[in-house]
Amino acid sequence: MKLVGSVCWAVIAVGAAVCLGAIALLRGEHINSMWLVLAAACSYATGYRFYAKFIAARVMALNDKRATPAERLRNGHDFEPTHKWILFGHHFAAIAGPGPLVGPVLAAQFGYLPGTLWIIIGCVLGGAVQDFVILFASMRRDGKSLGQMAREEIGKTGGFIALMTVMIIMVILLAVVGLVVVNALKGSPWGTFTIAATMPIALFMGLYLRYWRPGQVLECSAIGFLLVIASIFGGQAVAASPSLAPVFTLGAMPLAIAVIVYGFVASVLPVWLFLAPRDYLSTFVKLGVVLMLGLGILLVRPELQLPAFTRFTDGTGPIFAGKIFPFCFITIACGAISGFHSLISSGTTPKMIAKETHAWPVGYGSMLLESFVAIMALIAACALQPGVYFAVNSPAGVVGATPAAAAATISSWGFPVTPDQMASLARDAGEQTLFYRTGGAPSLALGMAHIFARTGGGQAWVGFWYHFAIMFEALFILTIIAAGTRVGRFMIEDLAGSRSKGWSGVMITSGAIVAAWGYFLVQGVRDPLGGINSLWPLFGIANQLLAAIALCVATTILLKMHGARYMWITCAPLVWLVTATFAAAWQKIFSPSAALGFLAQAEKLAAGPQTAATSTLIFNARLDAVVCGILMILVAAVLADSVRVWTGILRGTRESQIREAPFILSTLQAEEL
Amino acid sequence: MRFFRLILRLFRELADENAYARHLAAHGRAHSPAEWRRFSEDRLAAKFARAKCC
Repeated sequence: MKLVGSVCWAVIAVGAAVCLGAIALLRGEHINSMWLVLAAACSYATGYRFYAKFIAARVMALNDKRATPAERLRNGHDFEPTHKWILFGHHFAAIAGPGPLVGPVLAAQFGYLPGTLWIIIGCVLGGAVQDFVILFASMRRDGKSLGQMAREEIGKTGGFIALMTVMIIMVILLAVVGLVVVNALKGSPWGTFTIAATMPIALFMGLYLRYWRPGQVLECSAIGFLLVIASIFGGQAVAASPSLAPVFTLGAMPLAIAVIVYGFVASVLPVWLFLAPRDYLSTFVKLGVVLMLGLGILLVRPELQLPAFTRFTDGTGPIFAGKIFPFCFITIACGAISGFHSLISSGTTPKMIAKETHAWPVGYGSMLLESFVAIMALIAACALQPGVYFAVNSPAGVVGATPAAAAATISSWGFPVTPDQMASLARDAGEQTLFYRTGGAPSLALGMAHIFARTGGGQAWVGFWYHFAIMFEALFILTIIAAGTRVGRFMIEDLAGSRSKGWSGVMITSGAIVAAWGYFLVQGVRDPLGGINSLWPLFGIANQLLAAIALCVATTILLKMHGARYMWITCAPLVWLVTATFAAAWQKIFSPSAALGFLAQAEKLAAGPQTAATSTLIFNARLDAVVCGILMILVAAVLADSVRVWTGILRGTRESQIREAPFILSTLQAEEL
Repeated sequence: MRFFRLILRLFRELADENAYARHLAAHGRAHSPAEWRRFSEDRLAAKFARAKCC
């Protein structure tokens, strides 16, 4: 049996090597997406079985005889031993956001190869390791948060900086995902009606759960889902109606204002009335669509139309500026490694782990699945004709303000596309136009729609599937905006020293956080380069720098456990992350190219004719540079503090006491789960 | 069958229905609209005080 197992794992490992080699070396012809799927699946399986097992057994010494916090502190609320595969799904649902969907789609401007390799290698050696080690550390420390662990293991500065970084990420994240929704819905009565309809549906669900069928969340979510599907058909009717279509045809700025008002209202309304039912619904829709996309790709097995590398590896990309190093790595962000995951891994999940070895599938395994979602998003984008992909994702400021000009510019890059071809696609999708739909969501929706249509309904259903995909993306992005605004409100209140009890306090703090991300959202809408060019890299930098903080904490803990022996496990991804992210941040601030550097952009604008709008753009570019600079300084401080602690431990001049909860023998039986 | 039971349990966990059942068992109470409201207010307050992932 052991021999059969060894042979199987050898075949999987060789399969990973062959598939990775094939996608890296095949040139001059379209390759099938199955190469990517197999390369990813075999690499993940090998990483999970060998590398993660090595970390679990040799480094962490996971021990099922040791009672976890879920068992020792069991209270039926936060601390509750949970079946490992249920917790796996729970954790995956918590870490899966828009990042792994949007990032890889944007990074496809470099071609399919750089993104694929980074998603797979970055996840197996970096992202999944980060999630796993932080989950382990928090589990051994009674479920402490990343900030608490940073404070205890590194110093007070680390904890404070982690909080500040999260706050800045939150503001940039809410702005950038808001911009993704705005760009997906502008000029789209079908999409706008569908998303608008989800608001009364959520209110109905809230009342249903509170008064009519209390506690029946699954039943209520099923009804909500049916109503949302009905609203997609309703949107189609609205788009076809001469009187209603203009009402729901909105430009970018009115949509941005609507998103800002939504964020404010959703964060001040009682949670049970709006946010909670929306969150239940979006979680189920998210899991369902991810599963559908996986099945769709397996059934359709689309060919990748984008080449392995495009000409934009030189940094002249129309979607965002910057060379493949470092910008591919910060753009993909969550699909390979995400700092935000460390907050989830040190939040609810460690309090629900029944046995220590469950941290292996939950911490490491969930991130592999998240990474696979990123691969699927990349496939959906790369399955589009390159000309179409660039026409959808490029801003008018780069490719030209008319369809004819845009098509000519994109065709001149070697990616032929015509206005007629785009008009035909837009008709199929039920949209007026698909030019300049920057942000990644529309091109992902288009790719998904073609995959879904080939598995069910045919070409006639492209419009439905396109808006189904837009609904899915907007539904959970808007839920993140509402929930994030609420959390940002609490952060402001915590910094001020007390939680607001009255309405006026709630309104003021909500207004403050909405004003912060709303400012960046409006900045993105006004940006002649489309906003994504400046905001997405800023978000990617912030997210990757938070991962650097998490890896500093993880390295400190491994150093205290084993000395220098195993610190490379987290230190190697940390070095790579710091190198790539600091390089990106430096270039975003100081690059002499106006398309890339914030300060150069401000200088270029200052040298041109001056209007009120120009002054605002100059201020915005300088503000982005300052935000980027603050993030660099904050993380450099944590890094310096960490290196000081590591040096002290290695020299023996500093105590290396492990702050784990004491060993208590587990009495939890399998039947209890 | 076992797989589908596991999926249903996952859905009930995501929907907080399992947590509600645990709450009733831990406090020795029976389901009622008022009890659900009490539970969900505490649960949701804690749930939405944490950042949602990107």
